[in-house]
Amino acid sequence: MLTLKVNGTERTLKSSPDLPLLYALRNELGVMTPKFGCGMAQCGACSVLLDGKEIRSCITPVSAAAGKEVTTVEGLPARWAKQKKAAIAPGTLHPVQEAWIDEQVPQCGICQFGMMIKVTELLEATPTPSDDEIKAALTTSGPSPHLCRCGSYAAILDGVHRAARIIAGERA
Amino acid sequence: MTAPETMAVHGAELSRRGVLASGGALVVALGLPLSVTRAAPLPANKLDASKPASWIEIGADDRIVLRTGKGDFGQSSIYTAYRQIVAEELDVPLESITTVISGDTDGTPDGGGTFGLLGGAGNLRKAAAYTREAALELAARQFGVPRDALSVRDGRISGGGKSTTYGALVAGQDLRLTIPVRGEITSFFGLEVTGDPPLKPVSAYRIVGQPVKNPIHRPKMSGETVWVNDVKLPGMLHARVVHPATLGSTLVSAGKVARAEFPTARVVVVGNLVGVVAEDEWEAIQAARTVAADTKWTEWKGLPTHEKLFDHLRDKVDWRELPEDKGATKGDVKAASAARTHAATYFFPYMKHAPISPTVSLADVRPDGSVVLHTHSQNPQFLRMALAKMLGRPEADVVIRTYPGASHFGRSNGGNAGSEDEAVLLSRAVGRPVRLQWMRDDDMQWSTQSSASISRISIGLDANGRIQSYQADHSGPPIQDDRPIGAVLAGLPTIGAPAPDNAVGFQRMSMGIADAWVYGEIANVAELGHVTYQLGQRESPLAIGLRDHSMRTPSQFQQNFPREVAFSEAAALAKADPLQFRIDHVHDPRFKTILARLRDESGWRARPSPSPDARAAGAQVVRGQGVSIMLRDNGYWACAAMIAVTPETGEVKVERITMVMDLGIIVNPLQLRRQVQAGCLMGVSQALHEELGFDERAVTSSDWSGYPILTMAEIPEIKVVMHDNPAIGGYAQGSESANALAAPAIAAAFFDATGKPARRLPLRPEHVKAMLTA
Repeated sequence: MLTLKVNGTERTLKSSPDLPLLYALRNELGVMTPKFGCGMAQCGACSVLLDGKEIRSCITPVSAAAGKEVTTVEGLPARWAKQKKAAIAPGTLHPVQEAWIDEQVPQCGICQFGMMIKVTELLEATPTPSDDEIKAALTTSGPSPHLCRCGSYAAILDGVHRAARIIAGERA
Repeated sequence: MTAPETMAVHGAELSRRGVLASGGALVVALGLPLSVTRAAPLPANKLDASKPASWIEIGADDRIVLRTGKGDFGQSSIYTAYRQIVAEELDVPLESITTVISGDTDGTPDGGGTFGLLGGAGNLRKAAAYTREAALELAARQFGVPRDALSVRDGRISGGGKSTTYGALVAGQDLRLTIPVRGEITSFFGLEVTGDPPLKPVSAYRIVGQPVKNPIHRPKMSGETVWVNDVKLPGMLHARVVHPATLGSTLVSAGKVARAEFPTARVVVVGNLVGVVAEDEWEAIQAARTVAADTKWTEWKGLPTHEKLFDHLRDKVDWRELPEDKGATKGDVKAASAARTHAATYFFPYMKHAPISPTVSLADVRPDGSVVLHTHSQNPQFLRMALAKMLGRPEADVVIRTYPGASHFGRSNGGNAGSEDEAVLLSRAVGRPVRLQWMRDDDMQWSTQSSASISRISIGLDANGRIQSYQADHSGPPIQDDRPIGAVLAGLPTIGAPAPDNAVGFQRMSMGIADAWVYGEIANVAELGHVTYQLGQRESPLAIGLRDHSMRTPSQFQQNFPREVAFSEAAALAKADPLQFRIDHVHDPRFKTILARLRDESGWRARPSPSPDARAAGAQVVRGQGVSIMLRDNGYWACAAMIAVTPETGEVKVERITMVMDLGIIVNPLQLRRQVQAGCLMGVSQALHEELGFDERAVTSSDWSGYPILTMAEIPEIKVVMHDNPAIGGYAQGSESANALAAPAIAAAFFDATGKPARRLPLRPEHVKAMLTA
């Protein structure tokens, strides 16, 4: 039995320690935004935050997450509320999610859960990133680039800048 | 209850079926083709997949439901453009269309594939026009004023000093408007609304043209949406498949699972289809790996390899075996004189649709043999036909439910993306619902591909550098194989493989000229298309080989690339600026206008190629510019690419792309901009990276390292210029043209930068180095 915190809640897993976290989240805990894309940490569709750092849940065994905090897109609004130390309006999402909607970033959208996780990690460390910093975060900072087959990358750039503006505005 | 009362409305029939104590609705039903209405009534315990569903439903509360058999694959059109077009025609506020139901075969009326989405909107537009006219007839009767005295605006119908709403008109009534349609719902193209209801004049449009946001993004980005990936069925088993070792292998013996290691796993064999099911997904994955290692297949070789594909298509295929197709034909290319001639051969490799999520489907085959399949399909009704055929059951026994999923870019427009039929066969075998998720290698190696092509282009110039003749021979395998792969492996009935006499959907094997001819000033033109069988299909005991499938801008991409690159090379031979050279050879003023606009918007430097600074060697970066144009589905497109090449390393970087388009009326500029940006980047990806790897036995590109695509760090600056042209009076098809335009412009820019032609894709360093030393 392993315990970990998922989106703010303590959860206990019955699964074996070598089970990739992706399957534990989706099949045992019903946390569905991390998606299976490749199973080899090549695409980023399964990204989650582990103690605030983006990892690929498709190759990370649950044992590596034991005792730690996992954040998925479902948990981003609460993460934001905690960081702001204030409740956020009902129906309001994390600034990255709101920016993704405002900027109409997704095409099909399947890769965007991993993209938003990576961008959340980026903005927590670098609140006003340059284009180059955004590109580096989504290309070279992890085990592989975050891939979008539809080609939403230009929209993602707009989305990150808008998220940064929302965060700056809310903090001001 | 009063007796049904009917009235004719422009060829549709409005009937009042009764009066209701509460609620009320106007439901737009279909005048079904005879073959559907003649079907025997189904026993009550059966699924009723043939029951017609309404296209448009207006409730007493003024809320409107739309239903469409099309799906959303990232274009947003069914949630934005479709609502705009229907709201416009009914003249109701956009927000009153609260619900769009899509795809499900037992809940949508029309069928057909998700392609040409704005063309498909013609059905809804007509259905809405019939609906508006019926409402106006009802109001005329209620008010006791002539129909012509009434008008509708923002959902209010007024005239003769009276006014009402759609909702108030239908309140307390059970109304059915039956509109005329033709076609078969489970055919490739589905049903078509017929007749000619009066359409709102385009000059009066107020909702079409607005930058409407896609309402589906919020539930998707919040995590609320259930994707096909997320569906769970009670009692389901998880499944993986073990595909054959080669594209022509048959099963010798299936591997086994050890009970001690995999307590719930079972191996299922149906012909040459080997599956593994288990209660737990990770157990299914691991058990399938064990089974795969222990499964024996016959050996097979029958493919030319990707390294030898160009030579194979050029030298080994007998292109005279099958009839040729003709494209633009004008004058006499043989007799035309030429002072100089540009003649070259161009090559377009196999590419993959490569969705980010591999295909996943859930099948529930019930004890009575009926099936519910949960999937993500561009053509659910055609998939219903294919599954019924495979199972030897009536189509009414099969229901397809659809969900959002990863975009397929055309791969499932013939129903299947890969996992659907296999999930059904596994569920039937084990008597439980089954969730089949293909792994990354299944999706890369066992799905269809965008077909390869080779083109011979010959352009004759006169002494003044004007084109006298243009000849093109485009040759390749066909573009569409809609046979479900699991049914083929299992040896069960399917539609036929692509063949010269196969009339189903797009299976007829031919090489039609898909790249609409645009250079109207050229006097002598001959375009021919030549087709061959899918590579390996005739040699494979499974009749499989490299299966092809349409992918964004199918065939036209393969044919526009050589035409446009050759055109830029011919401009160089004429010592002409390639952009002006195009203006001088197109006839249509819409092209002249957007090319002139492209010159201004892109920072184009008017001069012949190659650049005066062109170099093919050295460590120093050289830069170039290139242009391409395309006419697709009444949309006029022009593209300029600015690139940088490092000759020593063979690295190509695309720095800026400018696209100008004249689509007539732009339905939704916000969504169009996003689609063009994204399509353009997929095109840059195809131009720089994409080529399917295969050896003599099988596809060797098995993951993202073997089939790299564009990354965020590589994106160019993109400028999208919408040349609004409402006077055209219609809207052209949207965005997929953006995919195809980038590659020829990039290849032309490569020629400009280096002085060496790029006559093949992709511009990967190994190919680039070969081009630079050629």
